[in-house]
Amino acid sequence: MKSRLTALGLGLCVGGAAVLLAACGSSSSSTSSGTRGGTYRVEATDFGFSNNFDPTGEYTTNAWGMYRGLLIRTLVGYKMIAGAAGNQLVPDLATSVPTATDGGLTWTFTLKSGVRYAPPVNRVITSHDIVTAFERIANPALAAQYGFYYTTIAGMDTYASGKAKTISGITTPNNQTVVFHLTTPTPDFLYRLSLPAAGPIPQEVSKCFTTPGGYGRDVVSSGPYMIQGSDKVNIASCSTIQPMAGFDPSSKLIMVRNPNYNPSTDSTSMRTALPNEFAFTINSNQADIFNRIKAGQADDSLNAPPASAVATLVASNQKQLIKTGGADATKYISMNLTQAPFDDIHVRKAVNLIMDKAGLQQANGGPLFGLIATHIVPDTMYNNDSAITGYNPYPSANNAGDLAAAQAQMRQSKYDPKQDGLCDTSACKNVFTIAVNTSQDLNEIPVVQSALAKLGITLNIRQLTPSAASGVVSTVSRNVPLALSQGFAKDYADPSTFMVLFESSSIAPTGNVNASLVGLTPALAQQLGVTIPKDDVIPSVDAQAAACGKIPTGNARTTCYINLDKYLMENVVPWVPYLSLNQVHMISPAVTMWDYDQSSDTTAYSHVAVNPAKQS
Amino acid sequence: MGRYILRRLMWTVVVVIIVTLITFVIFYVLPSGDPALRFAGKEPTAQVLAQVRTDLGLNHSVAVQYLLYLKRLVLGDRYGWPGLGFSYSSGAAIAPQLWQRAQITIQLVLGAAVLWMVIGIPVGVFSALRPRSRFDRASLFVGLVFISTPVFWLGLLMLWLFSSTLGWLQGTGYVAFTTDPVQWAAHMLMPWITLSLAFAAIYARMVRSNMLDTLGEDYIRTARAKGLPERRIVTRHALRASLVPIVTLLAVDIATLVGGTVIVETVFNLQGLGSWVLNGALNQDLPVTLAVTLVATIAVSLLSLVADILYAYMDPRVRPE
Repeated sequence: MKSRLTALGLGLCVGGAAVLLAACGSSSSSTSSGTRGGTYRVEATDFGFSNNFDPTGEYTTNAWGMYRGLLIRTLVGYKMIAGAAGNQLVPDLATSVPTATDGGLTWTFTLKSGVRYAPPVNRVITSHDIVTAFERIANPALAAQYGFYYTTIAGMDTYASGKAKTISGITTPNNQTVVFHLTTPTPDFLYRLSLPAAGPIPQEVSKCFTTPGGYGRDVVSSGPYMIQGSDKVNIASCSTIQPMAGFDPSSKLIMVRNPNYNPSTDSTSMRTALPNEFAFTINSNQADIFNRIKAGQADDSLNAPPASAVATLVASNQKQLIKTGGADATKYISMNLTQAPFDDIHVRKAVNLIMDKAGLQQANGGPLFGLIATHIVPDTMYNNDSAITGYNPYPSANNAGDLAAAQAQMRQSKYDPKQDGLCDTSACKNVFTIAVNTSQDLNEIPVVQSALAKLGITLNIRQLTPSAASGVVSTVSRNVPLALSQGFAKDYADPSTFMVLFESSSIAPTGNVNASLVGLTPALAQQLGVTIPKDDVIPSVDAQAAACGKIPTGNARTTCYINLDKYLMENVVPWVPYLSLNQVHMISPAVTMWDYDQSSDTTAYSHVAVNPAKQS
Repeated sequence: MGRYILRRLMWTVVVVIIVTLITFVIFYVLPSGDPALRFAGKEPTAQVLAQVRTDLGLNHSVAVQYLLYLKRLVLGDRYGWPGLGFSYSSGAAIAPQLWQRAQITIQLVLGAAVLWMVIGIPVGVFSALRPRSRFDRASLFVGLVFISTPVFWLGLLMLWLFSSTLGWLQGTGYVAFTTDPVQWAAHMLMPWITLSLAFAAIYARMVRSNMLDTLGEDYIRTARAKGLPERRIVTRHALRASLVPIVTLLAVDIATLVGGTVIVETVFNLQGLGSWVLNGALNQDLPVTLAVTLVATIAVSLLSLVADILYAYMDPRVRPE
């Protein structure tokens, strides 16, 4: 997962009030009514941006939630509400959600009329602005962090290599029409167009920013709000452009109303735009953030509240101030298929069977912070299909682990020569393990150690910061056998975004997302300097993943990915998934309307409201 | 004296080079993997990683990177002089941020220093004049409490008591003096107190100890025999001699705190150098870490020099070679 949990902005908190937390039963939406006015104040210890808030490369959920709700409209978008309905695509800049033509190779969009940029650009958004966005994505100098989603557009590679002045696969017959020509049918292409990098960008401003993250301090809004100070930016030339005053990456991001926003081009089901201002500020004291929220001095946070703060609200009959939403994310333990003892599938199955998932759930704060996960992709991403809900290939009473079943698996492995159900060889002792040193992740360590000790597996644990842990685990040459507290969240509501973690094409020397090395071939192993154990064949799911990826979105595609998920859990077993994560928010008493943005896994900034009279 | 100062300044340059080199080595030796990964997204392609490395200057060998760093430091870079580069996290130039944050840290440190001197010196003097009295014992006990109390706990306690519960003082955050001097002071008071209490206790004990030694000297007995008022003996003779080492210590303590206020800054949400370097270290932001290390090293070196010069001025028996 590398730093995917930090990318989620999920600062999960320490357990200790699990009973109270389980009793919370809070809903994901507050009162539905809100009035116009006030400032919605959000505090955080860190914005955690990965590309300085430049939409071309920014790859964090915190930023995506802000873009979608406040700043950037894309051709298609979401209603930014909770649940499955929040993952359904709706037209945003486009007049409708099109269907592909030409055998799935052509997508044609008509832009709504009268949608204008905020100051300092002010003009009407045209189809050429969409082209500009993709030219920036294709520009290698800008290091678009999820540019790989758009390589299916014809001509992107040629443009990127400098051999073409335009992207041949994007045409604009007129200012209102943009047509995408793909090299191969891409059923989830609409989801990819909903990502913020695909939003319109004014070329007259963006041409001045030629390094990764450079545009982040001068993002020109197409949404109901704009960065404070946008109207003071002089775009007469590149040399006159100064950073917008409302954004200082180390302290604040203030957004005010976009005077050019026309609600008639939008829908209140997507954006209600009630507060006059959004103020995101840095507060290095996390405890103080939640004290201030309780006191009405702040309204929300990008950090998850500590269990103690949640328990205090529950005890004082204020549990309505605790809000949750399914994060469409899985927390798991990753096992390296090339490293002993996890090169043996029976050991991997035994680890799944023995793991105390209930204990791990407690370590993360209890059921409020996530439900027990039993397979790779969260059920919500499969629309809670009955073929997967309730599926548990490694059941145990109370999810506390099944020693007998685990030992039965262990007896079938080559690491149990004594046939006593224990991992007997030296390969099972002091197994090098990477753990993350955040408070809740440290709580997981004794749970895992205790469980694996029952099978005779002892761990040599190295605790690292989240970014350091991610760096080490994703460097193949480090040969990390076991990685704890890993996590992954969707990019959009299609299971393919998870399956990339198991494709051989994802294996890279550094930045490797396929930490289990599923699909590693002998040739690739030699290239990377990794040794595949003798007589071992690393299983691959490339063919199945490719087959599922070709199916149009719908029930058949869902079923295909469900079957792939099951295959992975039963025949490859790269992970021990244990938590289907929730996002938990504490809001202030001044918040009169709140909803959860399922698409971004954040607060739905487009559906919040405050009562200024109750703010301090 | 001039040659001594020049020699010390040259040694400062050497110390800066050694310290920054060690910081560079630590950054690459620690098991953190490829630093470019931190800024390349959650599923970086080889192309994106390569571009990020190039953009951050990580595509050169460590030795070349260090030499380039020194070159830009001396000659300047595209952001001006000194060439401190840009933050990997924010992409913003280091120098303006450094100046802005240094102001906050300096205000915190100097304010606390004034407070701990105002508290520590009188308490030390009174304790020395009345050794083993109730006041002396009480000041010892209270001093030990403040020395033993973790700074972060003290800060959180103050926030809870004076801000959340009593509402007497402002909470966390910083207001610039030029924006509102009253709010500035209101926001800085708790951080000053939190930072100064342990130092006040230490200084009180040191002043007490030095005063007791000085008051036992022959020339003090002579001054009393000559009939000088006790007050004059204490203030003009004993205290002056006792404060010489205190001044030295003060200079070094201030210099050390320039990069060491991270806890207080974090608790009170002050965007100073300490919290900046902590974030920089955790986020593998090498330019930020180097910049603050540089400032702290120079501060310690120069203020140590100032302390030595002051010492020589105050005590004619001490002359630098």
